[in-house]
Amino acid sequence: MRWVQAIRGSVRGKTMAVVLTTTLAALIVNALALLAYELQTYRQTRLDDLRTQAEILGRATAPALAFGDRKEALKDLSVLHARPDILAASLHGADGRLFASYEGSPGALALAQSPEALSVGHKGNLFYMSQSIFEEGNHLGEVRLVARSRLYDRIVTYLGILAGVMAVALAVALLVSAWLQRAITRPIVQIESAARAVVERQDFTVRAPRTSEDEIGVLAEAFNRMLDEVERRQGELRIADRRKDEFLATLAHELRNPLAPIRNAVTLMKLSADKPEVLAEARAMIERQVKQMVHLVDDLIDVSRITTGKLVLRRERVDAVAIARSALEAVEPLARSGGQAITTRLPDAPLYLNADATRLTQVFLNLLNNAVKFTDAGGLIEFELKAEGGQLKALVRDNGVGISAGQLESIFEMFHQADGSLERSAGGLGVGLALARRLVELHGGGIAARSKGAGRGSEFEVVIPLAGAHAEHGYSERAPGADASARPQRILVVDDNRDFAQSLAALLRGMGNEVHVAHDGAEGYAAARRIAPDISFLDIGMPKMNGFALAHRLRQSETTSGAILVAITGFSQPADRQRAKDAGFDHYFVKPIEIERLQEILTRH
Amino acid sequence: MRALLATLCLLLACPAAAQPLEHEVKAAFLFRFLPYVEWPQQSFEAPGAPLTIGVLGAPHIEDELRHIIPGRTVHGRPVVLRQLKEGESARGLHVLFVGRAASERVRAVTRLAPWQPLLVVSESPGALEQGAVVNFLVADGRVGFEIALDEAERRALRISSRMLGVAVRVRPPNS
Repeated sequence: MRWVQAIRGSVRGKTMAVVLTTTLAALIVNALALLAYELQTYRQTRLDDLRTQAEILGRATAPALAFGDRKEALKDLSVLHARPDILAASLHGADGRLFASYEGSPGALALAQSPEALSVGHKGNLFYMSQSIFEEGNHLGEVRLVARSRLYDRIVTYLGILAGVMAVALAVALLVSAWLQRAITRPIVQIESAARAVVERQDFTVRAPRTSEDEIGVLAEAFNRMLDEVERRQGELRIADRRKDEFLATLAHELRNPLAPIRNAVTLMKLSADKPEVLAEARAMIERQVKQMVHLVDDLIDVSRITTGKLVLRRERVDAVAIARSALEAVEPLARSGGQAITTRLPDAPLYLNADATRLTQVFLNLLNNAVKFTDAGGLIEFELKAEGGQLKALVRDNGVGISAGQLESIFEMFHQADGSLERSAGGLGVGLALARRLVELHGGGIAARSKGAGRGSEFEVVIPLAGAHAEHGYSERAPGADASARPQRILVVDDNRDFAQSLAALLRGMGNEVHVAHDGAEGYAAARRIAPDISFLDIGMPKMNGFALAHRLRQSETTSGAILVAITGFSQPADRQRAKDAGFDHYFVKPIEIERLQEILTRH
Repeated sequence: MRALLATLCLLLACPAAAQPLEHEVKAAFLFRFLPYVEWPQQSFEAPGAPLTIGVLGAPHIEDELRHIIPGRTVHGRPVVLRQLKEGESARGLHVLFVGRAASERVRAVTRLAPWQPLLVVSESPGALEQGAVVNFLVADGRVGFEIALDEAERRALRISSRMLGVAVRVRPPNS
């Protein structure tokens, strides 16, 4: 059926169908209900009316009936002329014989005399009524009436009205659905056609017009925003793609650069196998180029480590001033050959950080190298280090080519080349700043770039929290996917197996923690009381006092009750786990313990 | 007479064969008057006191009435019948039927108790002029009656207007 298809396939069809169906249904139900009620009450009303009429007539004709005055009786019955709906009436004596009658319509009297007339009610299209006449308890006789019923006429009229109303209602329904179409279905259709355009033509610049304030308007809005997002991401993807291509080109170029001199050097060595000074020269060249390649490859490895979240810092208490000095020393030759002067402002006293010395050096060096690269000969570079508000601030300023406002953030992006040609001539992959930022963030700090514009120099500021300022500041930021560097903790290791204890302690120290060792329960208890460790790793099977007892006692003592207790043992029965829990241990591990588990515990606490 | 009798047979619910006699009809009518007449409260000793009908000089009608009245009530009161002898007073009666045999006595009787609420019914021509309230007439084979409303009024009797329609003649009340 085509119209079923039309309804299923279109919102407009549905709304029209809904409007029409509800209207029709309401009308029909209403009509039927009223009709039924009408029929019921009409019948009742007419009968009641006829009964009253008969009673009145009975009272009126009683004397005539009582005294046999037929003339009078006929006179009384003639009032029925006023009731054209009453077709005939008859007055009967006590024995049932006819005394007087009235005929409103010719032939009607015969109906009144038919046997049906004896009952009261509605038959055929007529109403029948009879009423006995009493006077002082005397049964004088009976009055009978026959009246026309207009029941079927009424039903027909009713149905006619119903048909008319339905026609009007349908017209109204069509108008309403037309309005609905404008208000509801058209906006939907607009969104639908926009969606179709997007899908068919892959055209993400299409937008749906927002024409209403209701949910459909919200839908259109959301649809448009999604398309905005899609467009934006497409753009981003294109840029990222382009960057990747550029990076690969740069990489290929950078890797090839050192290869040529190396090849030349090898050739030279082959040719001048007997000239020691040429050989030395060639070896030096090869060494230099190899160093360069190692640098490149190191950078690449760092990049991949950062992006896959595998970068691990070896944090310890370091002096930022000393690190700065070593970085400055390393960059000096480059600055000298580039013709730039470096001035420094370093504090006299050391500034301690919990940092990875190598990586921090890398960060400073990167910033200084950039300053040299991007400043012309005769330019000035300034390096300042200071403590401010519990934080270390390192500033690298230059009066070089500067950074335009739009690039102040994007220079920190991976593979970004500030000026393609310049970068390439100086060498490099464009990953330095991205790495530097990531490294600083892993230390709980940040880097910011500032510049007054192109040609007007730039300033880079590194901020890292100082040691002693507790990391609870909320600075600590986990690099996504990376293992966050744990802050150094005071740890106690208690195990009667000296080798195991020492190796675990060494491992933990390597992660930057302060580690104490004891070899039996009593010694361990005394050590715990003395040093108040943050975390204690306790073996279970030990002489003098086993791990459970030790844990129990530690929990009892106030100074040690708050520490984290980790059980490490060779036993692995489930019962032991429960015992450990009951004794007060927070964690339970079976030897050998994996380094990841250790790291987990350290970072969790 | 046949038309009359046929009609009355209807009213009296008598079998088709029998024909009602004049005295039967008059007795029936007399009894049927009673619901349409109102006596003043004082003419009864008590709310349940009976309505007394006196019959003078009409033995047949008296017999007929004796058949009719048992078990019947009028205005909720039982009906009692009394035969009146010559010279007897009409005291205590509510209805007095003076038969043809005693027609000359109508005036005397009505004069004896002029103010008593007594429905005086007679069956002689001109009896109304002699003080009767209701008088039976026979004409064209029908038993009819005439009513003296002035006399009724004088005796404090109220006669329902519904009865007036079927009367042959009505003498209006003094206004």
